[in-house]
Amino acid sequence: MDASVWPEVAKVIGAGLAMGLGALGPGIGIGILGMGAMNALGRNPEARGPIMTNMILAIAFAEAVAIYALVVAILLIFVA
Amino acid sequence: MAKKTTCGCALNVLIIVTVVFFALIVVSFIGGNIGATILGGEPLGFLNVGVPEYHPAPEAPFHGLPITNTMLTVWLSVLVLFGLFFAGTRKMKLVPKGLQNLLEMIVEAAANFIEDPAGKKHGRWFFPVCTTIFLFVITNAWLSLVPGFETITVNGEPLLRNANTDLNVPAALAVVSFCACEYWGFKAKGASYLKTFFNFGPLGRAIKQLFTGKIKAGLSGLLDGVMAIFAGILEILSHLIRMVSFTFRLFGNMTAGMILVMIMLFLVPWVLPSVFYGLEAFFGFVQAMIFAGLTLGFACAAVMSEE
Repeated sequence: MDASVWPEVAKVIGAGLAMGLGALGPGIGIGILGMGAMNALGRNPEARGPIMTNMILAIAFAEAVAIYALVVAILLIFVA
Repeated sequence: MAKKTTCGCALNVLIIVTVVFFALIVVSFIGGNIGATILGGEPLGFLNVGVPEYHPAPEAPFHGLPITNTMLTVWLSVLVLFGLFFAGTRKMKLVPKGLQNLLEMIVEAAANFIEDPAGKKHGRWFFPVCTTIFLFVITNAWLSLVPGFETITVNGEPLLRNANTDLNVPAALAVVSFCACEYWGFKAKGASYLKTFFNFGPLGRAIKQLFTGKIKAGLSGLLDGVMAIFAGILEILSHLIRMVSFTFRLFGNMTAGMILVMIMLFLVPWVLPSVFYGLEAFFGFVQAMIFAGLTLGFACAAVMSEE
């Protein structure tokens, strides 16, 4: 392999790592959020509506972190 | 005797629909690019979508005119919103019907959503900006799901493209939301709103105590004073970083959706992308709500009194 492809290789590896590691935390966070929502639902099934809304809002927050990682990955592949 | 029905249609119709559905999935799976990679060879001609291309920057479809396609979409969504509300409120009746009913429902739901945390007085301040942001973002997101977006091309560039996938649109919205929050803070608290950022009060009091002989109280107050100044600096930073996170949250979500649909179309051209299409519609709503809701939350935090 000649040296001229190395920047390309580094770009791809970097983008993959950024996305993979960046999705780790939000994945755990969304799992915990889902667990909390299920617990709340089990304790109080009548509060289904508010629990659902708040869960989706909180999930969107956790997901935003993964989205930042995605933006970085996109920038690495398409712009850098 | 009534016919037995499941999911609103007769059982045999349902079976036929299901079989056709799965047949389409299997054909597109095997004949598409995944099957071509696994089995070797070329994908079937009518299933060959071509490798998806993504350009981060918006394209300018007209030669010599600095009008990008996202800008056109923004104008279009403004027109759509204007037309919708104009048509709905042209002949208003006391008992709403049809379009007017729908619009009143939206506005009422937004008003309740905003007045719930903000209260009556501040809710009236926040309502125009928050609702406008919500409607604008959701219109941009849902308009881009209309067939023809990104596929109708002029001079080889797509004529229309989801405005939220252009970094400038979310950034502009974020700046608007930031400025509005600061304005409301000053409006509610006057000049004392600056104390949120530059809080020299505790430090000054501690120094005064030091010079008037209360050494012990002064020394412990000194620490609190420095902490208060540091907290003010952090507050400034958090207000500025808020804009960046607003921008990237919306931009990233919308861009991710666009790329997701593109890649699903590339991998399995039939049936399956429609699932992600539905997901996109849902995420458009969620992101619009989050943008408006966060603006509301920060505005509430800005006008809330400390004591």
